[in-house]
Amino acid sequence: MKPVIGQNIQRVDGQEKVTGKAIYTGDLKLPGLVDGKVLRSPLAHALIRRIDARKAESIPGVLAVLTRENCQVATPYFGAMIKDQPIVALEKVRYAGDIVAAVVATEEEIAEEALKRIEVDYDELPTLLTIEEALRDDAPLIHDKLQRVRVPEYGRGATYHLHENSNICHHFRYQRGDGEKALDRADFVFEDTFVFPSAQHYSMEPNISVASLEGSNLTIWSPTQAPFSLRQQVSRVFGLPLSRIRVIVPHVGGGYGGGKGVLTSILAVALSRLVRRPVRIAFTADENFKTISQPRAKLTIKTGVKKDGTFIARRCEVYLNGGAYVNSTPSVAEKAGYRMHGPYRIPHVLTDAYAVYTNCVPTGAFRGFGGPQAAFAYESHLDMIAHRMKIDAVELRMKNLLDKGEEFAPGDTPIDCDLKGALKWLAETIEWGKKDFSPKDPRIKRGKGIACGVKDGGGTAKSANAMVKILIDGSVLLSFGSVEIGQGVRTALLQVVAQELSIAPERIQVAELDTQYTPFDQATNASSATSITGQAVQRAARDAREQLLSAAASVLGTQRSGLSLEDGVIISQGRSLTFQEVMRQYFDDTEPEIVGKGFFKFPRDDRIPLGSPSPFWEIGFGATEVEVDELTGGVKILKYVSVTDAGKMIHPLQCRGQDEGAVLFGIGQALFEELVYKETRLINPNLVDYRLPRFRDLPQSFSTHILEEGGGPGPYGAKGMGEGGILAVAPAVCNAVHNAIGVRIQEVPLKGERVWKAAVRNP
Amino acid sequence: MPQESRFEGDSRMNQLLLPIRFRMNGQECRAEVKSNELLVDFIRNHLGLTGTKRSCDMEICGTCTVLLNGEAVSSCGMFAFELNGKELLTIEGLARNDGLHPLQESFVECGGLQCGFCTPGMILLAKALLDENPNPTWKEIQEYMDTNFCRCTGYQMIIESILEAAKKMREAS
Repeated sequence: MKPVIGQNIQRVDGQEKVTGKAIYTGDLKLPGLVDGKVLRSPLAHALIRRIDARKAESIPGVLAVLTRENCQVATPYFGAMIKDQPIVALEKVRYAGDIVAAVVATEEEIAEEALKRIEVDYDELPTLLTIEEALRDDAPLIHDKLQRVRVPEYGRGATYHLHENSNICHHFRYQRGDGEKALDRADFVFEDTFVFPSAQHYSMEPNISVASLEGSNLTIWSPTQAPFSLRQQVSRVFGLPLSRIRVIVPHVGGGYGGGKGVLTSILAVALSRLVRRPVRIAFTADENFKTISQPRAKLTIKTGVKKDGTFIARRCEVYLNGGAYVNSTPSVAEKAGYRMHGPYRIPHVLTDAYAVYTNCVPTGAFRGFGGPQAAFAYESHLDMIAHRMKIDAVELRMKNLLDKGEEFAPGDTPIDCDLKGALKWLAETIEWGKKDFSPKDPRIKRGKGIACGVKDGGGTAKSANAMVKILIDGSVLLSFGSVEIGQGVRTALLQVVAQELSIAPERIQVAELDTQYTPFDQATNASSATSITGQAVQRAARDAREQLLSAAASVLGTQRSGLSLEDGVIISQGRSLTFQEVMRQYFDDTEPEIVGKGFFKFPRDDRIPLGSPSPFWEIGFGATEVEVDELTGGVKILKYVSVTDAGKMIHPLQCRGQDEGAVLFGIGQALFEELVYKETRLINPNLVDYRLPRFRDLPQSFSTHILEEGGGPGPYGAKGMGEGGILAVAPAVCNAVHNAIGVRIQEVPLKGERVWKAAVRNP
Repeated sequence: MPQESRFEGDSRMNQLLLPIRFRMNGQECRAEVKSNELLVDFIRNHLGLTGTKRSCDMEICGTCTVLLNGEAVSSCGMFAFELNGKELLTIEGLARNDGLHPLQESFVECGGLQCGFCTPGMILLAKALLDENPNPTWKEIQEYMDTNFCRCTGYQMIIESILEAAKKMREAS
């Protein structure tokens, strides 16, 4: 049989998706389904003095109004790491857009009218929109008391610090060597501060959930990336046993870390309990913008350098504007902090990373998970050091880059690919050092930039299960809990099973994801599906194969060792048997299944800073050539080359799709994506005012180069690669802008106005 | 109370039904539509064709693209009654009896889709392009397709999918 791994087999969800037959949550039709609508606070920080829903309730067609007055649940607060967010506002509202009430009516128009009749009296409180405001000594507390789901258990070098009576909700510290003190031994010390924007995931499919409670059995349909953790959160809020909660994940219209489905599911369940009918909560685009965002980051780096350019020490401070509710942002702070020294050999490091409550839109995970913020800071900073020391920026990187096999941090997984080789290739490809003066218009300047990002990929101490069933007719059913969010996980993991069982991919079916039947999987995030769930799948396939071959040995009265699988049949000394023949004989003509199981988990290890090894290193190196219009400040990316390492590509086309898609996310944040507040209100919560990357933003020349260095923990050496592509974009573009016009910009996005102002200030 | 009467007035508006005739994916159809009903809701809820998706609701993202008399339109920005006398093509009507449309095939083969939510609109816009210009250049595709957003693919593989479909269609004709 020709190998399946590395082949671009047809993606399993392709046909459904191109014919419009793929069913997403919003396409579900259930008898009695009604829509719920929510009332949002116009104020960013206020006590709720009074709330009266009687007028709304009296409108014909209104089935229920949910407010704090009738929100009877086991625990009204939920959250991924800190239970900070109520289902509906209780004593106060914490951002403009906070949910105060929800209505279900027989028709959407009636529900919307009912929302207008809910009377709410507020007592305004001072608002804190920036990190600086939230950290002032006299700042009011946005949350009076907090219940942490768990306090992180870090390993060597990393510590967690609790701040009582503060808006700081998470403080991660990482130290190695002599930390900050070693800066004294440097010949030069450079310090720079950077700002990275708050952005919106904008998956094309909005936040949506459908919940149906029948008796004491609850079913939720939702495009969540984490069905099992959603089940857990719903269980805690409503006091239901996990076994009575069933989460079904239909097709998902994009994820990117947006925590889609959590809030909508909890609201839908709360309303479904009141009306005893299936309830759908579907947010509008405006509401999506006000649900979750990437935290705005302020990052300061101080690096001590020897005369020859060798880095010796680094001190970093990272502040994330966590908004009103923080979801996974504490983890984002931790990861951004841990990654601040980048792919460089720096013996002495001290980093403090904080997540801070403010009255902005809630925040959480976002593709890259702190990596793009950190890489923007350390790669811009590196170029600034190179410029000040008059050292070539590529040479300075070469001097300090970690070698393959060298530890990223003491105790953690060694670097698993050739970073210097990747940089060298990139510099050659972009023709580093060769300046292009071809534009005839004197106000157009060209420049080149490079950046090298890494992030720990695959999450921390994640676990996954999988199940491979061989059915009596020789077809195979594969079941796992990683969510198909477009990345192609269902196709790639099917390929793993085809390879392990030596059968044609067409014989395998991937089961739908339903927590009632699908074995547990932690979540589809951190580029972990291929590398973590993939290992569980590979183990399940091998378990099924061993059971099948043992059965064959028993049927044939021969040794297991003499048997093998080839081209979909069992081979024994030149004789071939079908799966069906073996299974029928072995199981006495009943119609059984062989059930192969696989489990994988990275172990805890206190010798490692984050308490468990980084599964692999996700590489995001990039080189770019830009054009800057000095008159308007407009920046155009002419060329972008991305380098990443897949370890081993299971499905090369999908790998390329992941990297190119990630680069476009990077381009969006480098050039125009940013949530903008005026006073306390988010003023661009729509696609007219919030600019997403579109076809016209494609660089004239855009390519990705995917290495296969085989160093990943996944099947056949595979690593994850869903996020790497973003890492280098913003710093490479800023470095190129500096190369073009000699102006350094330390805050993205590079809107024309920002570039123009900076250029005028520093001519 | 003025607020109340406005609401009741709106309710009556909802009840105003307009008879329309149109062709849907090759079939003659008649329907009665609410005067304020959006085309996207009519297609999804009344015709049951949920391949047409909605996202931005502002005629920006192109996710709800359908073809009306061969022209690509955002169905979130039109009323259902505007369908009267027209020919509607949705993604469900694109595949022919003998299999997928070449655009559908090439989007799968060339990595032109990931999550698939923008895909129906994207393919229909591409069809409008190829109907107008069977041999577009890379640059022409980039410009024509600029009205539709995709958050997954990075766009380049969509352009390659359309180039491939155009090639297949030219070879077949």
